[in-house]
Amino acid sequence: MLSVNLLPGADSAASAIQAEKVRMEVISQNIANANTTSTPQGGPYQRQVVRFETVMKNQFDAANAVQQVQVAGIEADNRPHRLIYQPGHPDADPETGMVKFPNVSIHEEMADLISSSRATEANLAIIRTARQMAMQTLAIGKGN
Amino acid sequence: MIDGLFASANYQGVKKMLDATVLRQEAIASNLANIETPNYKRVDVAPAFASELSRAISEGGVSNVQQLKPTVTVDQTAVAQNRDGNTVQLEKELTHLQKNMVAHHLQTQMITGTLSKLRSAIQTR
Repeated sequence: MLSVNLLPGADSAASAIQAEKVRMEVISQNIANANTTSTPQGGPYQRQVVRFETVMKNQFDAANAVQQVQVAGIEADNRPHRLIYQPGHPDADPETGMVKFPNVSIHEEMADLISSSRATEANLAIIRTARQMAMQTLAIGKGN
Repeated sequence: MIDGLFASANYQGVKKMLDATVLRQEAIASNLANIETPNYKRVDVAPAFASELSRAISEGGVSNVQQLKPTVTVDQTAVAQNRDGNTVQLEKELTHLQKNMVAHHLQTQMITGTLSKLRSAIQTR
């Protein structure tokens, strides 16, 4: 495909914004389910983690190492669940009175959320500068 | 006559620098896109390009300059700051981004300058 690249880097940045969007959705899912003790699969909710991977922008151009990013998968975090003593809870162990809560830490999720938001901002900065560069390119030869 | 304006090694050199600047913008975009990807190694315009270009310009051969082609390669000098093996540092990339934008501005201005010389020669004022 012949493409005129007027906005250099915009497609890499767009792939990253897309991937960060998925990550933010997973973070919000984790926060929403921070106290979910029963799921359709049985047992408490398990924290989900997004795995990123690089993809070559153009596999047929070996001299060009420019890469994009995509979500390789959303996988379960296998750290142990939080055990909290709540004998009155419907999901409590009848013998010990312990309830298994999800292995989600709100603090960790908030930190991830901020890093995701910063990464999105950095990629938006790329698109902003690419647009300025395109405007300057189009202005070549203009002026007195 | 017009050839003398466009066939100078400086004008061709600026055009090549503009190519490299656009490619660097793509490289920085690639780095920022993969800022969270484990084991990603940052890429940049091949460092040999700058020295090859300055040598070609100093030799004055326009065809030498025209044959140059900037490429993007993995930056071998960058070291990972984290245990995930990723060699991208956000603040450095943003600095490169700003530098690159200024360089692009300079190069487009230089090309515009050459063209406006031609224009003022035509208009004789």
